[in-house]
Amino acid sequence: MEFAIDAAMRERIEEAREVGQREIRPAGLEADRNAAPIPVGDPFFDRCLERGEGRTRWAGPNAPKSKPRKSNVILSLLLAEELAYWDRGVINATPGPGLPEQSVIGMGTDEQKERFLGPFLEPDKPRWACFGMTEPGAGSDAAAIRTLARRDGDHWILNGAKCFIGAASRSDWLLIQATVDPSKGRAAQRAFLVEQGTPGLGGFKIEKKMGLKAYESTSFTLEDVRLPASNLLGGEERYERKAGFKAAMQTFNAGRPVIAANAVGIARAALDESIRFARETDLLGRDRVRDRIEAIARKVRKARLICLRAGWLADQQRANIIEASMSKAMAAQVAQEAASMGLELLGLVGGRGDHLIEKLYRDAKAMDIVEGTGQIQRMIIARQLVGLPR
Amino acid sequence: MFDLDPGDELALIVDTARKLAETELTPRMRESEAARAVDAGLLAAWDEVGLAALELPERHDGAGLGCVARVLVNEELAAGDAGAALALDPFGPALTTLLEVGGDDAVTALTSALDHGASRAILVIVDAVDVSADTLTLDAAWVPADEAGAVVVLAGSDAFLVTEGISLERVRGAGLRAAGAARLELEGASIAGRWTDAAGAERARARARLHAASLLLGVMRSACDFSTAYSQEREAFGKPIGHHQALAFLMVDMRMALDAARLLVHEAAWRVDRALPCAAEAAAAWAECIEASRLIGPNGVQVLGGHGFMADYPVEKHMRESRALGLLFGGYDAAIEEAGQRLVETDTPLDLGQSGAL
Repeated sequence: MEFAIDAAMRERIEEAREVGQREIRPAGLEADRNAAPIPVGDPFFDRCLERGEGRTRWAGPNAPKSKPRKSNVILSLLLAEELAYWDRGVINATPGPGLPEQSVIGMGTDEQKERFLGPFLEPDKPRWACFGMTEPGAGSDAAAIRTLARRDGDHWILNGAKCFIGAASRSDWLLIQATVDPSKGRAAQRAFLVEQGTPGLGGFKIEKKMGLKAYESTSFTLEDVRLPASNLLGGEERYERKAGFKAAMQTFNAGRPVIAANAVGIARAALDESIRFARETDLLGRDRVRDRIEAIARKVRKARLICLRAGWLADQQRANIIEASMSKAMAAQVAQEAASMGLELLGLVGGRGDHLIEKLYRDAKAMDIVEGTGQIQRMIIARQLVGLPR
Repeated sequence: MFDLDPGDELALIVDTARKLAETELTPRMRESEAARAVDAGLLAAWDEVGLAALELPERHDGAGLGCVARVLVNEELAAGDAGAALALDPFGPALTTLLEVGGDDAVTALTSALDHGASRAILVIVDAVDVSADTLTLDAAWVPADEAGAVVVLAGSDAFLVTEGISLERVRGAGLRAAGAARLELEGASIAGRWTDAAGAERARARARLHAASLLLGVMRSACDFSTAYSQEREAFGKPIGHHQALAFLMVDMRMALDAARLLVHEAAWRVDRALPCAAEAAAAWAECIEASRLIGPNGVQVLGGHGFMADYPVEKHMRESRALGLLFGGYDAAIEEAGQRLVETDTPLDLGQSGAL
C-alpha cells in the first residue's frame, strides 16, 4: 500500500503549478471579467503550442509499432487537479484534439487517424476538435439523441441540433453522434467526423454561461450535412458489430475521474482562498470557522483519494465503473460545498462578485453536470450495487 | 506511487481475519453480546490464527507489523463482531501507546502485567489526569470491558501504566457488550510506570484513533452489506425495495461514505508506518468514520424498516455499536479540534506533492 507521489510526478506537478500561476489563473480571471471565451487569436494559445500543448497523443502514420505505453492515469489525475486548481475553464479552452481524440485513436480507420489527427502532430497554429453529443432534448439520457443520420448512396446526410459543445465554432472538425433510427435507442447510434465548413453545418451560437467562461460552449445546427461514407468513425463494419453507443460511452467512462480531479482542484482552490481570507481577517481563532475549514479539507482529501482509486484501478486494467462514478459524484459535490463555505466565510465580501471564491462557486456547479450529473452517477452505481433497473 | 494493494503477505493475514470473522465471530455475535464475553471456543480459534500479537515487536515475540496491518485486520474482525474483536485482543491500542511513548521498557512492563493471568489492557485517553506522588486518580464513565489486567492512561505527553487498584463497576453498555462494559475508577491507584514523550504521545493518539476507526469501518461495512443484500430480497410495491430509486440512492451514498472513510484511514495508517506526520490525518480519518457512521448506522436500520428495529437482525446492533465506538478516545470533537488546528498552520494544507505524500 502506497500513498506517495514520486519525484517524477512531483516534477510534473511543479511544472503545471508554475504554468498555472503564471498563465492559467490570470487568463481565467480575465475571461470571467470579459464574460467571453479566450479569443481564437489570443497569444495565450500560441504560448500553449510553444509549451508543447495542443498536440495529439497519436504517434503518427509512420511510427514504428511499439508496445503500448503503460498507462499512468494517476499522474493525469494529479495534473488534472493541479491545473483545475488554477482555472478549470482555461484547461478546456486549451487547443488540441480534445475529447474525441481517444475515440479516433481507438476506433478510427488508419485513413481517419491521418486525416483528422495528423494536423495535430505538429500543429502550425492552435487547432481544436470537439465532440458533439448533447442536444437540446438529450442531455443525461444520451441514448435519446435525435440528430438523424440518413444513408444516401455512398454518403450520409445529417440533420439535427447540438448544444453546449465545447470549442465547436473554432474546431477543425467535430465528432458528431447521430442516430439512424431514433426508435432503436443506443444500437442505432453512429459517430461522424464533420469538418468545419461542411455545407449545412452552422448556426453557431456561443452560449452565455454562469461560469467557466474561458472556453466556449456552443450550440449549432446540422441541416442536410452531406458526408462521404469515409467520415463514419471506424467505418460501417464497426457498427455492424453494434459498437456505436458503446463507443461514445467509452469516451465518457474515461472522462469521469478526470472531471472529478478537476473538481478536487476547484475545491482545493476554494479551501486555500478561504484559509487565506480567514487568516487575514483573524477568523482562524474561532472554533466554528476552524471546524468548517477542517470539514471541507477532509472532504477534499477523501474526494482526491476516491478519485485516485478510480485511476489506480484503470492503471491496473481493472473494472472501475463504480469507482469512477463515485469519484465524479463525490468530488463535484465537494467542490460546490467548498466554494459555498468559502463564500460564507467571506460574508458580504462574497456578495461583491469580485472575489475568486465567488467565481469558483459559479465554476464548480458545472462539475456536477458535465459527463453525467451526480444523479446519473448514482444510477450507474446503483445498477451495479443493487441491480437498479434501467 | 499510489498503490492500494496491501501485498501478498498482508493479504493473507487479512484473509485469515476475514475467515475467522465469518466462521466464528458473526455466528456467535448475539451469544457473545448476551454473555458479555467471548466463549472458550472462540478464544481457542483466536489463539490458533495468531492474530493476538500483531503489532507487538518481534523482539517481544510478536509479529511486529504496523498500523496498516492493524487497520486492515480490525476492519475484518469488526465486520464479524466489533465487541468480540475488542474482547479477543489482549493489548489493543494500549500496546501501541506504550510502544510510542515509552518504547521497549514500557512494552515489557505491559506484557509482564498481562502475563500474570489478567486478560486485557484498556486504554483511556484524557486531556489531563490527577496525579499525586506515585498514584493516579481517574474516573471514566464507560470502558468496553468487564475486567482488565492493566490500564494505560494517555494524558497530554504522558503515558501511565496502572496494574493495581483497578476498579470496574459493570454497566449495561450501549454497545460492544461482547467486550464487557464498565465504569472505570482509579482512586489513588499506584502508577506502575510513567513515560513522557510529546511526539510519541501524538503518534499514540493517532494510532488509537485509527484502531477505533478501523473497527468502525468493519461495523459500517456489515451494515452496508446486510442492508444491501436485504434490499434485493424484500419486495414492496411489486419489486425489490433496492429497485426503488429512493432506497437505491441512499445505499449508494452509504457505500460512498464507507469507501471514502476507509481511504482516509488507510492513508493515515500508511503515514504512521512511514513515520510521516500523521496526527492531523488520523484525527481527520477518525472524524470521517464517525460522520459516516451517523449516516450508515441509522440508515442500515432504515432500509429494513420495522424489521431493522428488531434484534432479529444485526442492523440494530450495527447502529448502536457504531455510535458507541465513535465515543472512544475523545470522540468526534477532540478529533476535529486537533485536525483543524494542524490544518490552518499553512495557507495551502493540501498542496500536491510538496512532502512526497498526498
